[in-house]
Amino acid sequence: MSMPAIFLGLALVLLVTMTAGLLRIVIGPSPADRMMAAQLLGTSGIGVLVLLAPALQMPALIDVGLIFALLAAVSVTAFTRRRIDQD
Amino acid sequence: MDTSTVDLALNLYSILLGIAGAFFFIAGTVGVLRLPDIFTRLHALTKADNLGLGLILLALLPQAPTLLYGIKLLLLWWLVLLAGATGAHLIAQCAARSSDLKDRF
Amino acid sequence: MSILLLAFDAILLTTLLGLATAAVLSPEPRRATMLFIAFGLWLSLVWARLSAPDVALAEAAIGAGIGGALMLAAARRAARRHADIDADATIDTSEDAR
Repeated sequence: MSMPAIFLGLALVLLVTMTAGLLRIVIGPSPADRMMAAQLLGTSGIGVLVLLAPALQMPALIDVGLIFALLAAVSVTAFTRRRIDQD
Repeated sequence: MDTSTVDLALNLYSILLGIAGAFFFIAGTVGVLRLPDIFTRLHALTKADNLGLGLILLALLPQAPTLLYGIKLLLLWWLVLLAGATGAHLIAQCAARSSDLKDRF
Repeated sequence: MSILLLAFDAILLTTLLGLATAAVLSPEPRRATMLFIAFGLWLSLVWARLSAPDVALAEAAIGAGIGGALMLAAARRAARRHADIDADATIDTSEDAR
């Protein structure tokens, strides 16, 4: 088995865990739970992108991963700001 | 040692670290789905997932085509650790502050 | 390799459709916004799989990041307006309130 195939298999495993984590966004009792699950999605998404980069021979996917990391910080901050100016 | 042995060793290293990383991701997701309240879930998510991502990035490091690519991988991990720690702290603070207003939160 | 790619695409597409349906059918604005952020992340993965890293970058930054943050603020305003309207029992929809 070649290395790209192994990386693709690992990306597939991560995609399955991402799909399972989506359940928390759909059922999650509080908005904070949903936000947390969105963060989980971001981290696993970076994992999938980073693994897809060598599997599909597209090194540029790393940059998309960097944007994902930024996005997690921005959306969590936007989410918690809501509480602060409401209290 | 000839080059094929080195290649084999590096591939083995990548596979082992990649599997370890995937295991931590699975553990994090199971934690998020199964643990009872928000603080325990947050704890499962932040630590397990960031460690899993770090292991996967370390697994990919020997396969990096250029030096810049490898540096970018390490920078990505650094950024994820920063963003993850900040986000987890914000969510926990906000949940702790409004835990008496459970219905509003 | 190709069977792995096929499985990858199948999971990606079914989940994307499920997320889109859940986001559209969600009654509560904040929940719909979270689902929209998740949808943006997922769509970005689809673009990455379609060998379009540039579009994936734009989708992640604008579609899920900035759009999600703005929509969170909008959902907060909507929730506050709803709370005001619920307090005022004579009016029941936001369109009538204005």
